[in-house]
Amino acid sequence: MASFRLTQVASHLNGTKAPRTQIGVQSPDDIVIVQALRTPITRARKGGFKDTTSEYLLGTILRGLLERTRIDPTLVDDICVGNVCPPGGGATTARMAALYAGFPNTTSVQTVNRQCSSGLQAVVHIAHAIQAGMIDVGIGAGVESMTQFYGPQNKLIPDTISDEVMEAPQAADCIIPMGLTSENVSAEFGIPRPKQDAFAALSHQRAARAQKLGHFNEEIYPVRTKIADKDGKETEIIVDRDDGVRPEATAESLGKLRAAFSADGATTAGNASQVSDGAAAVLLMKRSRAKELGLPIQGKFVASAVAGVPPRIMGVGPAYAVPAVLKKTGLTVAQLDIIELNEAFASQAVYCVETLGLDINKVNPKGGAIAFGHPLGCTGARQISTLLTELKRQDRRVGCTTMCIGGGFGMAAIFESEH
Amino acid sequence: MFPCKYRTAGFKGYAVKFSPFTDRLLASAASANFGLIGNGRLSILATTTTNTNNSRTQSNTNNSPLTILPQQHYDTQDGLFDLSWNELHENQLISASGDGSIQLWDITLKTHPVAKWKEHKREVMSVEWNYTAKTAFLSSSWDGSVKLWNPVHAQGSVQTFSEHTGCVYTAAWSPRHQDQFASCGEDKSIRLWSTNAPQGRSIASFGGHTDQVVSLDWNKYSPDMFVTSSTDRTIKIWDTRNLRGSVTMFGPFEFPVRRVKFCPFSPHFIATAGYDMSASVWDVRNGSVTFVHDAHTEFVFGIDWSYFHPGQIASCGWDEQIHVFNAPLPQ
Repeated sequence: MASFRLTQVASHLNGTKAPRTQIGVQSPDDIVIVQALRTPITRARKGGFKDTTSEYLLGTILRGLLERTRIDPTLVDDICVGNVCPPGGGATTARMAALYAGFPNTTSVQTVNRQCSSGLQAVVHIAHAIQAGMIDVGIGAGVESMTQFYGPQNKLIPDTISDEVMEAPQAADCIIPMGLTSENVSAEFGIPRPKQDAFAALSHQRAARAQKLGHFNEEIYPVRTKIADKDGKETEIIVDRDDGVRPEATAESLGKLRAAFSADGATTAGNASQVSDGAAAVLLMKRSRAKELGLPIQGKFVASAVAGVPPRIMGVGPAYAVPAVLKKTGLTVAQLDIIELNEAFASQAVYCVETLGLDINKVNPKGGAIAFGHPLGCTGARQISTLLTELKRQDRRVGCTTMCIGGGFGMAAIFESEH
Repeated sequence: MFPCKYRTAGFKGYAVKFSPFTDRLLASAASANFGLIGNGRLSILATTTTNTNNSRTQSNTNNSPLTILPQQHYDTQDGLFDLSWNELHENQLISASGDGSIQLWDITLKTHPVAKWKEHKREVMSVEWNYTAKTAFLSSSWDGSVKLWNPVHAQGSVQTFSEHTGCVYTAAWSPRHQDQFASCGEDKSIRLWSTNAPQGRSIASFGGHTDQVVSLDWNKYSPDMFVTSSTDRTIKIWDTRNLRGSVTMFGPFEFPVRRVKFCPFSPHFIATAGYDMSASVWDVRNGSVTFVHDAHTEFVFGIDWSYFHPGQIASCGWDEQIHVFNAPLPQ
């Protein structure tokens, strides 16, 4: 008798600790997203932003976020910007963009580079800083002008790498061109070319349909910018839609394209993500703070995870990162309502969909990077705006964003819509 | 206001309740040896106010220092874990005992209980008198059942509700529907019941806590809302109309809250007593702690709000102390 009572009291003190963030449960300390917003995405060198600089794109989307949320800029403590290619990691231009957008110099700015996941990592850094109490209100953003900083004339990898480092296991795999990692995935896991082309066509069809029905209207902030014609004459334009989408693309038409990275390969320009320009930004704070400030809540950040994978098949990243984040939350794949899986290449996207057992109807319902582009640092933040607006439109709750990452990683995050 | 104290020497406090009839009485249920083994003691205490002239006054006001004096106490064979005042008879109250029995006491009598019911097969963890219909009371037990009783019903309990697996820590009456009550237990679940339901089946079941649910209380002003505390170290707010799960969650904290009670004067505040040795008041609108009483030096297990003085709270704990103090109730 006494021993039972003693065990009971002891069980109260050794009890399991509830997860801090729970699906369907609101907690004052939840990290919430007031608004996730993005610019349109345009084709590098040819599209609407071909004469627009990355700091202008970033400054414009930050300005857009202030405009839409009407938050007092002085309340924002820190802005973390994901970008991959610019010199100096884009740190100075990011600071200038924030000042241009109307933030006071008391709002700090930082940049982060985890390659293709930089935009998501930026959002996660801000979420963690708020959770830890380092800051109160923050913005996680992402930007990339691949027109400016991505191409044969831009060095992302130095000319001379130490021989000793190069000889370390898998180190040389880190400088394999991304297209070749796609070929490695195709070959090693047997993803046939027709399947890849079909997936690519599906991305275009879905994006075209979403554009036609106005499903991107809520997440896109139109950008006023200048564009120069071949004579250098500048005109002012407003860019309000993704210009990479090809409604007429079919598996057959894509099947005619030549392999781009290896002679008998399966990866083409048509079943790979487009090289693009764009920016996105996400405003985050604790639920209690949002309530105090009278701000609406678009969604909640639940959890994130990163997983390392062999660099030569970096495309498999999501197949490891998604289970990792599901384990943290106790959710199963079936409980995810929508998955934003970045389409770096159809090969790795198909591999991940099949390996994770995802319902293809839940994956990228508005299309993906194959259709409208993958501005490297922007994508991670962009996916959040696409995800939350679509969860609301479909009246569903739980979503996951995920991507593969050059260098051999995957990253994934879980969000809950609070429409 | 200086917290007024009384020591139930030799007995560790498990529950304390103000009388619903007068602001001058409160009672405490306490057990020897931390409730693990040994006797129980029901203490009837009188509160008086002494003004600066040191003379007794008629009624207790919030600003005067309170004195707690022992009026009566009753010892029981096994430990006592809860008590509840009779809503119809101002001199009567019931106690919940570790040997599975429930006693009905009349405080005008010196020693023995007026009635004793032994039906539960294990420790009785809570008792609560129905404060709307006033004729019946509930008991919940480690034997997994909740029982409905009416003192005039001589044969014993009126009905038994057995759907929980494991210890049922608390059963609490709905403030609006006099036939409805909720229970919570070791099986991490919360159940809503009606005494009118056929075959004693529960109306609804709520899940979401990841560990034992130890306390439950209803919002007296928004009767669809109830609050629970759990050993998963959270407090959750529920709406009976939302079967998907809790509406809001506070925590997780470092230590679980052992008892939670909604304020009778406001829809916004709960009082909590916990393993962190504090008695606190929370605003349920935002989960902020508005008042902390940290004078206890051991686990605080019992807490109750005064029905006469808004913000006045009594707490008791394993430090053998009963404290009465005032917490502000900001708008």
